[in-house]
Amino acid sequence: MHLDPFELHRPSSVDEAVDLARRFEGRCDYLAGGTDLLPNYKMHLNLRPHLIALQDVPELSGRSLDRLGAMERLADLEGDRPLLAAYPPLGDAVAEIATPLVRASGTVGGNLLVETRCFFFNQSHFWRESLGYCLKADGDRCHVVPQKQKCYATFSGDLAPALMAVDAEVELAHSDGRRHLPLGALYDAAGDGIRRLTMRPGELLTGVRLPAATRGQRGTYLKLRVRPSFDFPELGVAASGVLDGERVVRLRVAIGGAEMRPVRHDALTDALVGERLSDDRLRAFAEAVQQATRPVHNTFLLPDYRRRMVSVFVRRAVERLRPGTAG
Amino acid sequence: MPPAPPVNFRLNGQPIEVSAEPARILLDLLRDDLHLTGSKRGCDLGTCGCCTVLVDGRPTLSCLTLAHLVDGREVTTIEGVSPPRGLTPLQRAFVDVGATQCGFCTPGFVVTATALLRDRPHPSRDEIVRAISGNLCRCTGYVKIVEAIERAAAEGG
Ligand SMILES: Cc1cc2nc3c(=O)[nH]c(=O)nc-3n(C[C@H](O)[C@H](O)[C@H](O)COP(=O)(O)OP(=O)(O)OC[C@H]3O[C@@H](n4cnc5c(N)ncnc54)[C@H](O)[C@@H]3O)c2cc1C
Ligand code: SF4
Ligand code: FES
Ligand code: FES
Repeated sequence: MHLDPFELHRPSSVDEAVDLARRFEGRCDYLAGGTDLLPNYKMHLNLRPHLIALQDVPELSGRSLDRLGAMERLADLEGDRPLLAAYPPLGDAVAEIATPLVRASGTVGGNLLVETRCFFFNQSHFWRESLGYCLKADGDRCHVVPQKQKCYATFSGDLAPALMAVDAEVELAHSDGRRHLPLGALYDAAGDGIRRLTMRPGELLTGVRLPAATRGQRGTYLKLRVRPSFDFPELGVAASGVLDGERVVRLRVAIGGAEMRPVRHDALTDALVGERLSDDRLRAFAEAVQQATRPVHNTFLLPDYRRRMVSVFVRRAVERLRPGTAG
Repeated sequence: MPPAPPVNFRLNGQPIEVSAEPARILLDLLRDDLHLTGSKRGCDLGTCGCCTVLVDGRPTLSCLTLAHLVDGREVTTIEGVSPPRGLTPLQRAFVDVGATQCGFCTPGFVVTATALLRDRPHPSRDEIVRAISGNLCRCTGYVKIVEAIERAAAEGG
């Protein structure tokens, strides 16, 4: 499969990158590891005439217990034991993303901004043309929920829920200035699935801030998928927190791979703080998360099954926070 | 049309300059322009590992790499992994154990496993299985491939 022509830009600083993005607004994409963007380009999905390659921008590299540069490669995180021990959901998630070969090129920033997926979208041009295009690329209707003018493609990144569970923040740069926000706020709760991020056009994700407050906290990320290597999440559940005996001191639970964006269930977890986490209480909590999660039929496994797995995975993930359990 | 811009990199130990359109994919450059057909085009989408090459020593999917982005780097293909005559101990083990049937996936496995044995000369079975989990084989059922890598490790790579 050949790629349609584009112009390739290789900025060597953040300022240069965001200036290029302003100049080519609406007509460019950033290119990190390319493991998501290039397959999509090969399938003629939302091509842009300008690619801004990020690999020569030093500020986007580097990692510590406080910060991950956006261009840090997943394979390098995987070998960083102190980092993964400090943030266990991150360690679990990284090891389960795609394959070692994809992780050798795939980056942190690219993973947080990975395109949403749907089996009517991730198809060749020929396939999509035959059926009729959809809202997400070239068309005007949704094949999954035809009665709505919305795209329900599934957010299938593994890092986002894991990092949301440990209260990570993202740093953003634009030609007008810089800002940072909680990772969860990157994903637009009011979006229509086409607009699904709160980033401004041309905004660059420069890094992830890891808070000291959640460092060393117990946590886990559990992923549902068909093949234990390769597959995108059909569901991803991250939990992180502190239990004092049976009592909940802090708790975060975030779900990915199920809806249009990763979601952290703070209202439900806040209600547990200070409470004793009995088995019944945990079961009720897990059911409540399941009630709030609504997958649609656009991935490999049936949505009813994925939904029923939500409470199972939430229960398993939170159980691992109990002192004395492995994980 | 202006000529395609040049890319300079080291290929299998030799410096090389080629011209390539910005949208040229490394795998296509290697196979179609440079006639190094050892790297295979399986899926062309990152799912099979048949196109694996080393970029600065790191196993890399050449089907998802822009040719221009290896500018200044060192690229090693299966042709560069193989000695001018004969086979590496790993390749020999693939043959002796019967780890290759149709052979389409073999270059990718050999490149991936070469990097593994360089970094971890004595990997556990689990480490081997994990390391090759991005390479697909439709023929062997993997058992012989794992055995071949184990044998090469036992014999010192
Ligand atoms: C076979 C296969 C299996 C996969 N399985 C999984 C999986 O299990 N789980 C999973 O999460 N992913 C999976 N992926 C998707 C992908 O490989 C990963 O998500 C990877 O981390 C993407 O990172 P990248 O650097 O390659 O992103 P790219 O492809 O370079 O970019 C992805 C998107 O993010 C944008 N972008 C990248 N960096 C920035 C930045 N710094 N600022 C602004 N925008 C940016 C790009 O413009 C693009 O839209 C899989 C891919 C393949 C080919
Ligand atoms: S959810 Fe609907 S609009 Fe979105 S990619 Fe699938 S078919 Fe297209
Ligand atoms: S051809 Fe590159 S991964 Fe299949
Ligand atoms: S030997 Fe035929 S695909 Fe592996």
